[in-house]
Amino acid sequence: MIRHSNKRNAVRMSKTVRRISAAAAGLSAVALLAGCAKNAPQDTWQPKGPNAQKIDDLQKPVFAIAGIVGIIVFAAIGYALFKFKDRGQPIPEQTHGKPVLEIGMTILPAVILAGIGIFTFQTIFDLAKTDDTEMVINVTGQQWWWEYDYPVQEQYGITDPIITSGQLVIPSGTKVLLRETSRDVIHSYWIPALNGKRDAVPGRVHTLRLEADEPGIYAGQCTEFCGLSHAVMRMETVALSKDDFAAWVKGQLSLAASPTEGSLAQEGESVFLNQCVRCHQVNGLKKADGSPAIAAPEDNVWSGAAPNLTHLMSRNTFAGASWNLLTKQCRKDVWEASSEEFGKRYLAGVTEECLNQTDLRRWLRNAPAMKPMYADPTKLEETGGKYRGMPNLGLSEDDIDKLVAYLATLK
Amino acid sequence: MFTNGSKYLIGVTGFSAVVLVLYIALVDGAVGGVVALSSIMLAVGLLAGLALFNRDGDVQVGDVAAPANAESVGSSLWPLVSTVGIVAMGIGLITHEIVFLLGLVGLVAGFVEWVIQGWSESASSDRRYNASVRGRLIHPLEFPVLAAVGAAVIVVPFSRIMLAISKTAGAIVFILVGCAVLAGGVVFALRPNLKKTVVIGLCAVGAVGVVAGGIAGASAGKRDQLVEANEEDHFAHKECGEEKSKYFDFNAEAKVSMRSNPTATIEFIGGKLQARELGLNAPRTRITIQKSANISVIFRNKTEGEHRLTLHYGEKEVQEGVVEELHTCTQMIEEGEEQILTFRIDKPSIASEKPYTFSVPGVDDQSIEVFVP
Ligand code: HEC
Ligand SMILES: [Cu+2]
Repeated sequence: MIRHSNKRNAVRMSKTVRRISAAAAGLSAVALLAGCAKNAPQDTWQPKGPNAQKIDDLQKPVFAIAGIVGIIVFAAIGYALFKFKDRGQPIPEQTHGKPVLEIGMTILPAVILAGIGIFTFQTIFDLAKTDDTEMVINVTGQQWWWEYDYPVQEQYGITDPIITSGQLVIPSGTKVLLRETSRDVIHSYWIPALNGKRDAVPGRVHTLRLEADEPGIYAGQCTEFCGLSHAVMRMETVALSKDDFAAWVKGQLSLAASPTEGSLAQEGESVFLNQCVRCHQVNGLKKADGSPAIAAPEDNVWSGAAPNLTHLMSRNTFAGASWNLLTKQCRKDVWEASSEEFGKRYLAGVTEECLNQTDLRRWLRNAPAMKPMYADPTKLEETGGKYRGMPNLGLSEDDIDKLVAYLATLK
Repeated sequence: MFTNGSKYLIGVTGFSAVVLVLYIALVDGAVGGVVALSSIMLAVGLLAGLALFNRDGDVQVGDVAAPANAESVGSSLWPLVSTVGIVAMGIGLITHEIVFLLGLVGLVAGFVEWVIQGWSESASSDRRYNASVRGRLIHPLEFPVLAAVGAAVIVVPFSRIMLAISKTAGAIVFILVGCAVLAGGVVFALRPNLKKTVVIGLCAVGAVGVVAGGIAGASAGKRDQLVEANEEDHFAHKECGEEKSKYFDFNAEAKVSMRSNPTATIEFIGGKLQARELGLNAPRTRITIQKSANISVIFRNKTEGEHRLTLHYGEKEVQEGVVEELHTCTQMIEEGEEQILTFRIDKPSIASEKPYTFSVPGVDDQSIEVFVP
């Protein structure tokens, strides 16, 4: 009887073991296949610029060495397991240590690590260099989006500073230096295809080199946990050919023009002046009395800033590069364009037929419902009346229609 | 020692104290509850004291503990302290809060001591034993309080003295007092047989000296320098002019120790002002700075004489119709010295008619434009 049940247990056991190993094999297969995913824009194994290439050149040999060492170690363990399996043989003679082996096994890893160390330090110093910079851009993080501003650099046509958000536009083949800081908590800028990460720390300026070989869009996301919506604090770096970049600069330097008299967009402008200008700057926007409308995000937003919307429609994404301003098809056209075609498509911006109205309207209707933000008007005591993020403004559908028409003119 | 009734009442007192604390911590803004709970606590505490004092009113216990031939107990200071406390509370109500609080402290302390003493004196007929019973209960409370009072008696008068005399005199007084204390310590250590009265006398003279000095210092007021600086608001306001400020520029820092990657280095070289932005190597006369972020720049004076760097960043309406110019600056520093200037600009340049600038007061034709997008 007892035997019987033991046997049954054994059968059941082996079934469980088999199931577990099948699941494990399945999982690792999935993991392995994920490594081959085609649409993986944040893949660290596909450097698209010299800085990321340097990291790749360092990490590949290190992985190889580590892999070889790992195989040797596991082989040695396997050998020992089989060779000295308990077959009832007597316990072998016991000796105390083997100095040659011990010293050797200490020195060998030390030498390997020292070798890796030399190359690592060299790479770190290379990546910290700032004296070969060709262009600087200020990058400012805040909950939960990135702002970029471009100091005057005449050689690129930047005769006045430029300010934008979400998508960082750089000329390809140019050594760009980002000067990062933060307005609230620590964030971290990371475009895996172009370089490693660098923390943006309030009160400090940290530099990060960025250079893209080819025109294209390179995705990334904040990699320092920064609160509620950290997961949707994304960013994209857009590299344009030098000519396209000059065209982009020219567009960014222009002021927003007032919409035509009597249009829906013009009604949108006045809604904007009532509802939005206390946080969002639109360069060139004038108040009813003709004086320039100056935003006051420092009085309304915890971080002291809100995206400048002067050229909203020149970017493809919004709210921390997490939602598309382009419809699916139009976005695909941009992302999958060849590097020759890319610039032209990107510079076209968001045209009327490409505007993703659904998400933009959803945002205007109730932004915190889309992106969790600390923007509940009833809980502003802790922040001294300031919002973290964009609040739900309780706009009517009518106002939203007008606003969308107005925002669509901000090219 | 403790009778059953008093144990119970002490327990209830403690419990209501805990409840009161929790109530204050967890329920905010409810005054009624605090009043009710503290009344309960006080009433039960009073009952506990009474029960302790008369041993639950159990005549027999008292009879056994204190036979007829017991030594009569000594007189007590505590009723007097309590009375003074009550009177002080009354005076405090019409004069000053502090007097009321001191009175309250006196009342509570006197009452507690009184109860404990009364209780201990009826513990047995042996006075010495009674004193030790009292000590066991009250010393853990008395000693820390007395130590704190003693420390305050030294610290408060001494700080008054130091604020009244000049800085140099202060240093000398500090050295002298330190030496005197050391000398006293050495004498006491070398002559352990010194008469107790002599030791106490010396300490008393020292204490009286400190207290008297403190009173004198407090009535003399703070030294002129402090008074003046306070009146003229030197601690709150930077004086960014061409003139050297007596207070703001006093003891200027000369070397930057924390080089936390400033955005730019601004140098005043041979009468010319130029900026080097991090990452851009050529000197420039216009720099871009992020809005609403804490930004640091290093200022280096490489021109003969003492100079400061001033940042003007627009105006702000502080009240209806009152517009204040916004500026900040480094201290005046000598040639070859450097200093960090940290600031935050909340408005973009387009908000101001005048451009934002860095300049050196007294040098009119040199400035660096600051652009805030
Ligand atoms: C209380 C301040 C505040 C007000 C008022 C406000 N916003 Fe915002 N808005 C923000 C903040 C902060 C963000 C950035 C949120 C994020 O991405 O996490 C934002 C983001 C946006 C974005 C995305 C911009 C980008 O480039 O990513 C748009 C579009 C926008 N707001 C439109 C509006 C409109 C239209 C109004 C008026 C109806 C308005 N906002 C009112 C604070 C405000
Ligand atoms: Cu972040």
